[in-house]
Amino acid sequence: MIISQYMTKEHRGCDTKFAEAEQAAASGDWAKAEEAFLAFSNDTLKHFKKEEEELFPAFEAQTGSSEGPTQVMRYEHEQVKGLIGKLAGALESQDKDAYLSLCESMMILLQQHNMKEEQMLYAMCDRVLPPETKESTLEKMKKVEL
Amino acid sequence: MFDQNGLSLDQAPPISVVFRFFFSGALFGILAGILIFFYRTDIFDASSIAAVTFTHTLTLGVMLSIMFAALFQMLPVIAGVTLTSPVKKANWVQYPFVAGVISLLLAFNLSTPWLFGLASLLLGASLLPIAFIMLKNLLQLPNHSSSSKGMLTALLSLVILIFLALYMTGTLAGALEGAYYTQIKEAHYSFGLFGWIALLIISISFQVIEMFYVTPAYPVLVSRYLPMTLLLLLIISTLIGLFYPDIWGVSNILLALLLSGYALLTLKRLTQKKRPLTDATVWFWRLGLSSLLVSMLSMVLTPFMDNMFIKTLSYIFFASFALSIVFAMFYKIVPFLTWFHLNSQGYFTAPMMHEVIHPKTAKKHLYIHLATIVTFVLSVFIPPFIFVAGFLTIVSFTWMTYQIIHAHKLYKHTQETGEKFDMGNM
Repeated sequence: MIISQYMTKEHRGCDTKFAEAEQAAASGDWAKAEEAFLAFSNDTLKHFKKEEEELFPAFEAQTGSSEGPTQVMRYEHEQVKGLIGKLAGALESQDKDAYLSLCESMMILLQQHNMKEEQMLYAMCDRVLPPETKESTLEKMKKVEL
Repeated sequence: MFDQNGLSLDQAPPISVVFRFFFSGALFGILAGILIFFYRTDIFDASSIAAVTFTHTLTLGVMLSIMFAALFQMLPVIAGVTLTSPVKKANWVQYPFVAGVISLLLAFNLSTPWLFGLASLLLGASLLPIAFIMLKNLLQLPNHSSSSKGMLTALLSLVILIFLALYMTGTLAGALEGAYYTQIKEAHYSFGLFGWIALLIISISFQVIEMFYVTPAYPVLVSRYLPMTLLLLLIISTLIGLFYPDIWGVSNILLALLLSGYALLTLKRLTQKKRPLTDATVWFWRLGLSSLLVSMLSMVLTPFMDNMFIKTLSYIFFASFALSIVFAMFYKIVPFLTWFHLNSQGYFTAPMMHEVIHPKTAKKHLYIHLATIVTFVLSVFIPPFIFVAGFLTIVSFTWMTYQIIHAHKLYKHTQETGEKFDMGNM
């Protein structure tokens, strides 16, 4: 279960940064909100890159299919990226109501995406990938930079 | 070129599927409020026709409708189950279901055997096939989460509940002898409240509490074994209860302990949420879980106290538990789905969640709902308050109906006038 553990831990890390940014924005501390939001978006985009460049191709090569779950996950990544852009806009204009409203959408979108990955895709990766591929994919993912 | 919209929308059912079940649920809620003006405090006498009619308006009409909305929406997300042709399936469920509920409510009041037969036919034919389809899909899952397993137990409870109900309506229609009628009635009641309603709420909460509020996950021991333990307890009690009805005295204490433990744990989880904002939905959850605690305490105390009030309080607070959680889910699901579907269809102008239903609107509903519960409790001791409770029930569900209509109008308006991102240019 090494893929599941590593990737799930990253999800939780992103959640914490996201909550910090939301908390700061709610209390009007925009500088802190910006800092936490930047950390959240960097971590999230890096996590997506790990999946799209390493994990998904490994899974697709093993299963022989580039359609199906990985394609859905890639599409959802695009949706999350779109929302990150909108959140950044609201943060820049210090529009609290818009920021908190977008946070609400982001949280649900991201959490349901994470659930699908944690309960299905990662579990499938851990099951179908041979141990050595899992190890090497994990190592490659750890080296990914934005 | 793959269709980006299709990919996402393949997973989520069309918005109309979810909205229509919320809508019929809310309309039955208004009906429940109207019925109070006719039945008044008779609804508190468990053996009366008034109580049976009112309870079924709430449990079947309101709760089952809304829970189908939740199942159609949550199965793809929580359990990765994608139902094929959801609109067609929703039509096949909803129309006969609504007709079935109305027939049943009329049958109770008119004591007409053929109406019980008609209600059995309509409700059995609408509910059993969809429950079996959902069960089949869940059973075929390669990877189970605690929520998907929990939903499995809730749906199994629903199927058992329906068969128990069919036995009863079959007896009332004159088609069955009904030798075990009293025992089956007790089991039907317990499977409905603790099996179907509580189990489904518990299973969904394993995911949504963590998902909406970013809390630590439930302990594995609880999320993995609580639903199955509850289901087994209900099955065993029903079987033994056929011959020793007193078993329910013990079972109810065990059920109360398990459900109270769950309520306390979830309340604790809500204090550990990482998200800073305490919106109305958090308060709906808190109110619902606290109501569950009071209901269970009253239920345990009932046999030891020579007082009918305590039993009535147990009913009122159980209804408060179920409805509070329904509202908590409603105020997250409706705004999210409106935004999500429009956003997935490429509309730049997709309204944000707060524009669909503002948190202040949800908070106002919270106060109305709270006032409704308080007046129901007061009416147990001061009967004229029942009219206020009835009026507030109507207001509460009219509020809900309006939010669905408003969200649907906004959805249609955006589709008609909104600026759309052209996928063809990609």
